[in-house]
Amino acid sequence: MESTIIRSIDYNAYFGDNHVVKNVNIEIPKNSVVAVMGPSGCGKTTFLRGINRMHELIPGATAKGKIMLNNEDVMEMHPIFVRLKIGMVFQRPNPFPNLSIYDNVIAGYKLNGIKLPKAEKDRIVEHSLTRVALWKEVKDSLTKKGSFLSGGQQQRLCIARAVAMEPEVLLFDEPTSALDPISTSTVEELFHELKKNYSLIIVTHNMQQAARVSDKTAFFYMGELVEYDETKQMFTNPTDIRTQNYITGRFS
Amino acid sequence: MNTNAHVKYRIGKSRGFQGLILTLAFACVIPLLAILVYIIKAGITKINWKFFVNVPKPVGEAGGGIANALLGSFIIIVVASIIAIPIGVLCGIYLSENRKSKLAYWTRLCVDILQGVPSIVVGIVAYFWMVKPLGGFSALSGSVALAIMMLPIVIRSTEETLKLLPDTLREAAYALGMPFHRVILKVIVPCGMSGILSGVMLSVARIAGETAPLLFTAFGNPYLSANITKPMQSLPLLIFNYATSPYNDWHDLAWGASCVLLIFVLVLNISTKLITRKWKVQL
Amino acid sequence: MTQLENEITSLKSEVISMWNLVELQLQKAKTAIVQFDRDLAREIVLKEKRVNAFELKIDRDCENIFALYCPVAIDLRFLLAVLKINNNLERVGDIAEGIAKYIIESETVFDKHVYDVTELLRMFDDSISILVDARTAFENEDTVLARSLFKRDEILDNINKQAIDRVSGCIKENMEVMKDSLYIMSIIRKLERVGDQSKNIAEEIIFFVEAKVLKHQKGA
Repeated sequence: MESTIIRSIDYNAYFGDNHVVKNVNIEIPKNSVVAVMGPSGCGKTTFLRGINRMHELIPGATAKGKIMLNNEDVMEMHPIFVRLKIGMVFQRPNPFPNLSIYDNVIAGYKLNGIKLPKAEKDRIVEHSLTRVALWKEVKDSLTKKGSFLSGGQQQRLCIARAVAMEPEVLLFDEPTSALDPISTSTVEELFHELKKNYSLIIVTHNMQQAARVSDKTAFFYMGELVEYDETKQMFTNPTDIRTQNYITGRFS
Repeated sequence: MNTNAHVKYRIGKSRGFQGLILTLAFACVIPLLAILVYIIKAGITKINWKFFVNVPKPVGEAGGGIANALLGSFIIIVVASIIAIPIGVLCGIYLSENRKSKLAYWTRLCVDILQGVPSIVVGIVAYFWMVKPLGGFSALSGSVALAIMMLPIVIRSTEETLKLLPDTLREAAYALGMPFHRVILKVIVPCGMSGILSGVMLSVARIAGETAPLLFTAFGNPYLSANITKPMQSLPLLIFNYATSPYNDWHDLAWGASCVLLIFVLVLNISTKLITRKWKVQL
Repeated sequence: MTQLENEITSLKSEVISMWNLVELQLQKAKTAIVQFDRDLAREIVLKEKRVNAFELKIDRDCENIFALYCPVAIDLRFLLAVLKINNNLERVGDIAEGIAKYIIESETVFDKHVYDVTELLRMFDDSISILVDARTAFENEDTVLARSLFKRDEILDNINKQAIDRVSGCIKENMEVMKDSLYIMSIIRKLERVGDQSKNIAEEIIFFVEAKVLKHQKGA
């Protein structure tokens, strides 16, 4: 019996009067990878950002409905508490350029003014970097600035930074679209490891990636959740004709 | 028609144009070099230890110095900075974070207009705001006038620097659960520090040599004073007064002071460039 | 190991498991004939369901791998080969089942003399050994071994060709063995097809390892 970690109930999102996400009801199971795919402008990124309350940072953006994280409604909680439990990794790797690799990993604590003893900080840094398969590569250059790493390493550093906060859910907004193929496959391998400890939601415009990495896939089109099913089922025999048209590339 | 001759003509024209640009670029450097050479030649001989340590002596006596002007300039600039920097940086932060609001639009407009207000007008305004109510000239009113002149530069450079920082930086900070004030103070400002610092230093360099606002605010003082509620001497004022006086001793002081002021501004500009390069954060 | 490599490895071991099952079916068929064990024959018929289930599962797994991973090069060739080998193995399973059904239908023990003359047991041994070697070649991606199977199939073809004369001879000598002879004739035909299936499997192995297509080639 899978347990659900995130459930959205009639979630709607707007940019001013523009209704971009329409009545989405979806259940994300625990410790799994859910891919969200769809053509450009279908609302998938907006929906993702709604989950950790980043959507409302854009001027004029509003949202309605409920998003339950376990048993609490994310829309009722203070955004800061939400973001401590739901981490996010963005499309372009964005380590803080003025901080060292070490400081980047614990940035969530350090910049929030949470004081930790050095031993604890060391443990968190090593643990998080190991989780993203970066520890061996950078353990001798922890004091160097984060911006000197390659693109793939920077992205893994950003994942380590999110993981260091011990969230329950990790959101990924097209995490590999700015990376070269080798870095992409390194990051994709990470997802299989990460899902043992976290629940992952990945927005991607690359449907092969969705097929490769996810357990369940959601297909968004024009703001609506058209189909949501096991990935195997979705890619061998989807139920909705729109899904089939998208997957087979027949979209105009 | 691309005949050989035509192509040669175009190449020649291109070379001529490049030569013209180079010449004109050097032409801009010439006035600066001329000023530097002339002032340093005229003033450097007047500078000695006594020059820095003594106050101006009455006419006829040798050995005067510009100590009161040095101290006065220093105090006035520092007080002006204390007024202008916090207001300017915070305003710049506000403008960079709120690109589209109405208040931001009008604020930007006012800042741009303020930048164009003549310095003597700023001085007169400070006279009516500070000197008249307080009943006398004071260094404080001079600082206020200079602060008003510093504001547009600090605001603009802060805003432009912070606007250049990518939104992804802010997003990363928010996604880690940081509240607004920490995003600004712990992430945005540190990353933009080199730009903000250069704006501050440039504004100081700008007001270091302003004379007109100080004419009816700080007014000038022949004695060494550190009291900001009383009139105070400053380098530009001293140069203005002494250069137009009929006394040779005072002319010498004015040359020396000009040299000092020029070198100070030059050093400030060059160190701004060096520091910005060193502190610039690789995005 | 990437996810795709994991999937391919587990697919390979499934195919091997199916192979083992089918080999066992043939072994049991041989034993059932020698000992004329009807119960063993019924067991073979029951186990045929498992062979079919394997075929369906392997087909489905291949479909999933194609859909999810879009494999290319050797992985693509491997999956295409597995789809065909799957069918071949299923037919060998059918052959074993068919032999078992003969044993169940026949009322009497098969005449030992007939199957000695026709070298039936040798044919069983040879066909099973070709099947087993095909499996080894698949597991180890050994195209040399795979190529050697073509010649060995000829031995089975020879026994098959000689079977008609031998069986006629037996019937002329003793009319009683007519029914047994006919059954044994059919069994020999079926075992010859086991050799053909193994030859097809060998062609697929060479295709996936070397990307060479040997189908419909003369003298291959």
